Amino acid sequence: MIKYLLRRLLHGIISIIIVVGIVMVLVYSLLDRTLVFASDSVYNKQKSNSKVTYQYQQWEKYGYVDYVTYQDYISELVKSGELTEEERSEAASFGRKPENDSEIVKEYVQKFTDKYKSQGYTVQRLNAVMLTPKKVADGGRQQLFAYKDVPLYQRLWNYFTGLVSIDNINKVDGDIGERGLTFTLYDPVYGGDKFSPAIIGNGTLHRYLLYFDGTFPFIHQNFATINLGTSFTVNQGIDVFKTMSNSQGSYVLSEITFPTGYVEDSADDLHTATYVAGSREATLVYETRFDTDYTNVDLVRSGLSKMGYSFVIGIISTIMAYVLGVPLGILMARKKDRLPDKIGTIYIVFIIAVPSLAYIFLFKAIGGNFGLPTTFDMESSSKLMYILPIVSLALPSVANLMKWIRRYMIDQMNSDYVKFARSGGLTENEIFTKHILKNAIIPIVHGIPSSILFALTGAIITERVYVVPGAGNLLTEAINKYDNGVIVGVTLFYAVLSVLSIILGDILMAMVDPRISFTTKDR
Amino acid sequence: MEYDFSNCGYTEEELFSRVSHDDLDSEKITAPRYSYWHSVFRVFFRNKLNIVILAVLGLLIVFAYIYPMLTEYDRFGNLMDSSSKHLTPAAAIEKYGFDLKYILGTGASGESTFDAIWNGSRISISLAFICAAINMTVGVIVGAVWGFSKKVDIVMTEVYNIIGNVPYILFISVMVMLFTANFWTMVFALTITGWLGIAYFIRTQVVIIRDREYNLASKCLGTSTIKIAMKNILPFMTSIIVTLLATEIPSYISYEVFLSYIGMGLSEMSLGRLIYEAESAMVTSGWEFEFWSPVAVASIITVVLYVVGQNLGDASDPRTHM
Repeated sequence: MIKYLLRRLLHGIISIIIVVGIVMVLVYSLLDRTLVFASDSVYNKQKSNSKVTYQYQQWEKYGYVDYVTYQDYISELVKSGELTEEERSEAASFGRKPENDSEIVKEYVQKFTDKYKSQGYTVQRLNAVMLTPKKVADGGRQQLFAYKDVPLYQRLWNYFTGLVSIDNINKVDGDIGERGLTFTLYDPVYGGDKFSPAIIGNGTLHRYLLYFDGTFPFIHQNFATINLGTSFTVNQGIDVFKTMSNSQGSYVLSEITFPTGYVEDSADDLHTATYVAGSREATLVYETRFDTDYTNVDLVRSGLSKMGYSFVIGIISTIMAYVLGVPLGILMARKKDRLPDKIGTIYIVFIIAVPSLAYIFLFKAIGGNFGLPTTFDMESSSKLMYILPIVSLALPSVANLMKWIRRYMIDQMNSDYVKFARSGGLTENEIFTKHILKNAIIPIVHGIPSSILFALTGAIITERVYVVPGAGNLLTEAINKYDNGVIVGVTLFYAVLSVLSIILGDILMAMVDPRISFTTKDR
Repeated sequence: MEYDFSNCGYTEEELFSRVSHDDLDSEKITAPRYSYWHSVFRVFFRNKLNIVILAVLGLLIVFAYIYPMLTEYDRFGNLMDSSSKHLTPAAAIEKYGFDLKYILGTGASGESTFDAIWNGSRISISLAFICAAINMTVGVIVGAVWGFSKKVDIVMTEVYNIIGNVPYILFISVMVMLFTANFWTMVFALTITGWLGIAYFIRTQVVIIRDREYNLASKCLGTSTIKIAMKNILPFMTSIIVTLLATEIPSYISYEVFLSYIGMGLSEMSLGRLIYEAESAMVTSGWEFEFWSPVAVASIITVVLYVVGQNLGDASDPRTHM
């Protein structure tokens, strides 16, 4: 069984890698990359040569190309000691036209061109655009740079190797004193006298590597961080996973004792502190509060995360769907061709045939007439606003479950074992609950893990109609804003969930029905 | 040899009597003639509800395809006339006199909502039928091969697992951005991977009946695979395919509505786009007709298509032909 599952998992991982590859081809190669600038006001303000370089700079940020300027190259040479500071300015200032280059510039331009051409880059030199013989036009300075499309295999490799980053004590550069991990039983965030174990690092990216606090799941770690991909437009500079899992809403202030002993009402969550080189001395605000460069903290907010809202709504509606759908499906099967079956069938036809958008709006209108809140408000403490999204999500799943339970039960009703049970004198109740249901429920069980896991991803239409700040809209938002990092990250997340849910479904099915075995030897 | 039974007390009927024997007569088969499609329609029309629904479907098709040809629809015809915008049905009829055009009021640019809906319906229904035709044809053929060949099965199952994990919206939005968001792009986007689900469904059905005893017997008697597929399996699949078609066609209309709503739909004024653009009208009092009438028409179209398809699927199952 274990061996079989490992093989399935391996298959799953391979297909996930291929899926991410396909998505990368779709978003990085097939899409027109100039669309990125469609709503970029900075781009429209740029003129002539600087417009071209701006384009390549942006594309590098979005992950389309590798882009190196001649200046970068010279700086690197200075860093490695090949050039001195004095030679730098001379070598870096290349002429408005290639003919104007000095000897040393010619030499280094040639070196630059050779180096990058041999690595498959395209080297481009833009001559200065002149307004008058002496005056350079706006944005028309001469440019020299090399660029290369990032090949798919390299992109995939970089992506998957950077997926999980392990924090260690040599993570950050710079002089930060003695590197190491300290274990304390009394977390300094709580004033240093409350019992709360924590592991604090120096030299690591995160200050707190392990700590306890009052929010679910109470014990938190920062040893391994998941990086699904950095967002560029949706949530600038923040990782997709963080975008989905960080809380939203207004700040929650509480009395905080900063490392320097300074006490203030603040929303800073000191446990999330990460290292930013030189930040403490940069501003007075940090200097009075922090004693190290671990100053970059997340803020405590009142709401749930995107994934949190989606999950709360999703999981309650899933539970509701099973609680309502299974008994109703059984009822329909028992009263086949009678009134309950007919009413149920009409309901199922309604849900399957009518566009989902239409009935969600219908529920919204009906709910609004009953005085239920039709839009979601993170600041409101009312739980009523959850009702309509939950109902809108649950009712279609109820119909779906009813349809399949009814189908499976009716298929079982003509089996020999049912006739035998009936001839043995069992009551209809016993036959249905003890015999038919046990067999009919097996295919339904298979879907339970997937409905729980996919509650995390949220539902696009429901969340949009009720303005729920959930994760469902992340993919469409990213597509509309050309945020390639988010598209790839979200796809990976979905693919992992779907692979996991199928495997978990199979395991659950094998647990419920002992006849099902995935190892051929047992047969 | 002659026996005389008259004295035994039997009546005339109880006694055997000779009948004439005709070689030609004995060649005739006495069972009533059976035609598959004839029986399908006999069963289908036996249910009076189907006649009503078919009539509604006919009416919908007339309105979607013939009505726009007979009337002129100019979306921006009344654009300059500010008094013609967002009229309720009553106000519109008062303004223009009674006209079929204005029984649902007018929309944001003074156009007749009624005309807009039928123009949109034409686009949506055409999209649904074309997509369903392409996906079903490809899906059934590929699914049949997939189910029959064990080698193909291994490859295709992996392909299915991979493609199934690429978000559908992503495919569609890439297509829409690559080309323009016109009708044929949408057809292409909905069919490029859409057939895969149908093929998988058909494959499962083929696998279920492929190894049944009668097919094994057929194989043992030397019937070719193609003949088994055509004569043994295809008839079995007809009702499954029709039932599948019944869920597929409305699903494309729903899907088009969904895509329009998230802003990735057609550039033409399909039903989905009408709903998307009139969304704000839902909560504005007096404008509700602009929103609810396309929603209602979309729902009626999908329900009618679904019910007709389901009942036709039931009727095409030979077990109901008794």
